[in-house]
Amino acid sequence: MPAGGGRVESGAGLEPGPPPAAVRARSNAEEGNGRKSGRPEAVPDSRLPTPDSRVFVIEAFSLSARVGEFRLEDVTFTVPAGRYGVVIGPAGSGKTTLLETVAGITPQRGGVLRLNGRDVTGVPPERRGVGLVYQHGYLFPHLSVAENVAYGAADAATAAAVASRLGADALADRDVRSLSGGERQLVAIARALARRPAVLLLDEPFSALDPRRRALVRREVRAIHRSWELTVLQVTHDFTEAGLLGDVAILLDGGRVLQAGPPEDVFRRPASPYVAEFLGAENVFAGTVRVLGDAAPDWVEGEPAALAGGHRAIEFQSGPLTLYAVGDAHAGPAYAVIRAEEVVLSRTPHPSSARNEFRGRVTDVATLGALTRVTVDVRGVPIVAALTTRSAQELGVREGIDVVASFKAMAVHLC
Amino acid sequence: MMPARPPTPPARLPVVPLPTPHSPLPAVASILAALAGSLLLLFLVAPLAGLVGQGGASGVRGLFTDGELRAALTLTALTATAATLLGVVGGTPLAYLLARSEFRGRAVLAALLDLPLLVPHPVAGIALLLVLGRQSALGAALLALGLRVVGTPAGIVCAMLFVSAPLYVSGAREAFARVDRRYEAVARTLGDSRWRVFRRVTLPLSGRGLVAASVVMWARAVSEFGSIVIITYNPKVASVLSFDRFTSYGLAEALPVSAVLALLALVPLTLLRALRDEK
Repeated sequence: MPAGGGRVESGAGLEPGPPPAAVRARSNAEEGNGRKSGRPEAVPDSRLPTPDSRVFVIEAFSLSARVGEFRLEDVTFTVPAGRYGVVIGPAGSGKTTLLETVAGITPQRGGVLRLNGRDVTGVPPERRGVGLVYQHGYLFPHLSVAENVAYGAADAATAAAVASRLGADALADRDVRSLSGGERQLVAIARALARRPAVLLLDEPFSALDPRRRALVRREVRAIHRSWELTVLQVTHDFTEAGLLGDVAILLDGGRVLQAGPPEDVFRRPASPYVAEFLGAENVFAGTVRVLGDAAPDWVEGEPAALAGGHRAIEFQSGPLTLYAVGDAHAGPAYAVIRAEEVVLSRTPHPSSARNEFRGRVTDVATLGALTRVTVDVRGVPIVAALTTRSAQELGVREGIDVVASFKAMAVHLC
Repeated sequence: MMPARPPTPPARLPVVPLPTPHSPLPAVASILAALAGSLLLLFLVAPLAGLVGQGGASGVRGLFTDGELRAALTLTALTATAATLLGVVGGTPLAYLLARSEFRGRAVLAALLDLPLLVPHPVAGIALLLVLGRQSALGAALLALGLRVVGTPAGIVCAMLFVSAPLYVSGAREAFARVDRRYEAVARTLGDSRWRVFRRVTLPLSGRGLVAASVVMWARAVSEFGSIVIITYNPKVASVLSFDRFTSYGLAEALPVSAVLALLALVPLTLLRALRDEK
């Protein structure tokens, strides 16, 4: 426990820092952040950045690990101090293994891992200063909710404060087995935070929460992340979440890093056709929100209930595209996500009420069984539509033809 | 001009009739299966029920009047308990290792641990005699230390341990395997060493399974005969006593002792039921 006892203002104080002699301020804090990775490379010691807990809290260089037949290989990324790192990737890509390797649960086979500037290769999990929250919480079933939160708590006051902040104190007397999935998750997050870790590792932490609660807990975790200057590494398969939360996105597939860097770069400038294809599951645009005013009923086609939520009509500017959306987003930078399934294609302007309509040229048609993905180039911006192969055939979609891509304002998700 | 008609939607999917639930063949098959099951059940229960019915009363009386029977039962309970304690002390780390670690030769180790279950019990007794008898180096060394194994309660404990410890190890291994390792991982990140996690998380979560495994081991130790009779005929454990009464005096004399042993088997049986029901 930290010297002096009592409350620790920064979670970083939990761990013995690097020896002062080793601390050398780096001129450019962001250098190394966008490291190219995914290429096998030896890591000679002289090339490693100088350890500095004030710059990077999580530094992985050519990390490798093995679980059964699965291999995590040559994983290189950094998460700056107090930033939010997001690991995205398909199921089985090694996201959880990566978290467990950082936590020290899965033994590291090679490479270098530094936490707070300290090489933790071979350091047992209990001395790494990391908190770990699994997807289903894994609350100890033989303990009460309060005992779970207090299990590794820095002190009773911290446990109580964290529990009340996350709303887990209301559950204190409940039997762990009677909690809903969301409640478990809440308690698990409180349990991890009560220890005041320097690094919080979250494995799909919000997936079990209902949408209302998800927004709430996400906001609270983000607030704690900011006020504690807590460094977070979170696994998600949800691009929305990645764009919403992440300062650094790490795209993982087959146990290797495909790309790592600011999410905007990863989304907008995919490093390879594979990344593009992987991310192409959704249309993600970075841009700026402008609130136009209250949404008129004809903006919320078929979902008048949305109006009751105080939703506004929004203009979203992303490069050459102007999108219209309905939501409660605030003015400023944001991401717009349109599921490919929401994009309707036609040969001539559609007589529908869709608020977003763009004329473009088909640049790619990929048929996979019953589904066909069509990429339409609109003023240099690719918009992906997913339609049934049957309707694609009826439409006569092929490369080079001009089509109209349209989607409703309600289909634009802002985050 | 007629407006182009939209393509007609596909006709409703044809309704596939479900197979009729009462075809005659399965009915015959289930009657046969029920019959076979009942016969086996009867075969398993009837002899024991008959034994208790005929010898139960005199057996229970014998608990008060028959000093040799009481001594044999006490010896059995004590040696089985001692063997179980030894099995738990040595078997728990082995079971945890088998449940949690991946290492070369794990399958071989697991197979070795099952071997005593497959050896005929007199063979186990002969093997033990060979290792622990006075002709062997180990037996001679133990004897020099004043520990006589053959023909003493220590020999009984050894025989019981040999034949029943594998049951504890496999039961405990299963109990540990049922504890999701992620509980342990979380506890580690919450500041506990491996040993503390074992004490604070693994043991409480597997405790019931470990107790059940030791009850199974104890019950198996109590019922052992084949290897004990070779290594220590005297003093007699209960199973040896029933055999001795039968060969020396005949069925009538063996009946009360045997009935008491059959009745006592209900104790671990009830314990195991209770352990399972509480889940």
